[in-house]
Amino acid sequence: MERDRSAPCMTGHTTGMAYSILAEIGQLLTALSERGEAGAINLRSLPMTDADRGQLEEILGRGEVRAELDLAGATEVWETSYNGVWWIRHKGAGDKIATEEIAVTSMPEILMTHPVDIAAASRRIRQDLDSAGVQSQEQKHELGQKNEWEARNV
Amino acid sequence: MSDKRTLGEVLTDRGVSRRTFLKYASYTASIMALPPTAATAIAQGLANARRQSVIWLSFQECTGCTESFTRAKAPSIEDLIFDFISLDYHHTLQSASGVAAEEARHAAMQENAGKYIVIVDGSVPLKDDGVYSTIAGISNLQMLEETVKDAFAVIAVGSCAAFGGIPFADPNPTGAVPISEIITDKPLINISGCPPIPEAMTGTISYLLSFGAIPELDHLGRPKAFFGETIHDRCYRRPFYERGMFASNFDDEGARKGWCLFEVGCKGPVTYNACATLKWNGGVSFPIQSGHGCLGCSEPGFWDLGGFYKPLSTAKGDALKYVGSAAVAGAAFGAASAVIARNKRNKILKEG
Repeated sequence: MERDRSAPCMTGHTTGMAYSILAEIGQLLTALSERGEAGAINLRSLPMTDADRGQLEEILGRGEVRAELDLAGATEVWETSYNGVWWIRHKGAGDKIATEEIAVTSMPEILMTHPVDIAAASRRIRQDLDSAGVQSQEQKHELGQKNEWEARNV
Repeated sequence: MSDKRTLGEVLTDRGVSRRTFLKYASYTASIMALPPTAATAIAQGLANARRQSVIWLSFQECTGCTESFTRAKAPSIEDLIFDFISLDYHHTLQSASGVAAEEARHAAMQENAGKYIVIVDGSVPLKDDGVYSTIAGISNLQMLEETVKDAFAVIAVGSCAAFGGIPFADPNPTGAVPISEIITDKPLINISGCPPIPEAMTGTISYLLSFGAIPELDHLGRPKAFFGETIHDRCYRRPFYERGMFASNFDDEGARKGWCLFEVGCKGPVTYNACATLKWNGGVSFPIQSGHGCLGCSEPGFWDLGGFYKPLSTAKGDALKYVGSAAVAGAAFGAASAVIARNKRNKILKEG
């Protein structure tokens, strides 16, 4: 008799967890809609089987937005078919899922640019312009003012 | 060594964005069972923190805890912890040796007095003046006391450092004791396991860095985030336990169908650890998912508490008789094993 080699893990069975999470998402959506309160559910801490995760993903479906981020490993973010419900999947070593969460918000924070990074980008672009010998608008303005002053005082 | 800049400044200069901080923070929040919304506070805390000086002392141990801590296949989010700490002393990993290594330890202690963390793996032998394990001409006890003197906190990683582990097992020929028997005047965190789950170690350090405080601990000094629930509480095979469906040996129908491993000695109902949710090898599996019962390696005295393949109901010691409820059994086992371990330690200390 051939031995069943797939059985010991039993991770291919659904447990009903997907619908429990769906109910919680419903509560969080109500809070977001009525009071503007964002919320999130950490999927990693829940005893879900692979089949549960697949079932939840199928129920929520895919919406209008999808983003791929390259942050010390890949991160995928997509809005589900329920507007305001986002699936965030962070991958780590070996492209395995490091953590996964459902964010109920108008915009996940991970997609927004932090002010510190904007300031760093601003510094970098000035350096790049300097090294290329191109004057920035600010420098042109300063130079224009200087020329105007010199013209008046000749 | 000492860098006065914040981690945010250091990593921004290296092109690491705050999004990456946020990703790491989300990962830390998830492994510590904090609400996902805590990620913003963790990211901010990490960005404002200075690189943490860490002195790692290895005593009577097998280096399995270091293996676990450093285990990673490729540069990834899990590796960011190595950007957040400055590992100033570690026997196995440092390139320096002899006098230079000891000078590095003393320099780190001096430069970061009151701020550095001491991580200890391995138990400390006390019998015969600690002659059974010496480093740089001094006993483990001397090195521990000298190094911890100006530390901010001490983390005992692995069951040997936390509870004595295998060196502490009968007949304990070296008079081994856990770190908690020696260090009583500093914040001490136990991260038990043989070895501990890597995320339990990195998550605890990240918490210390982000919040500048010790995470909530259980009665054995372990972070509740990782040791707050039993393996059994979070085991995907638990529905079989509830229905009374057990494997009675490793090759019967129950084993092949993935039923509960209680009858073949699984210690999951009395073992507090996060294996069932964090799993091992990057989340691939954990012992029960691979078909073997839990050994209970994160509990005190696990080595001496009956056979690994004997069900809990027949395990050694009256206090360990199965009492019908996994939660009650867990508490009874934990308390009983802690008492046994403490009595044993007291006996060793008396005998000197």
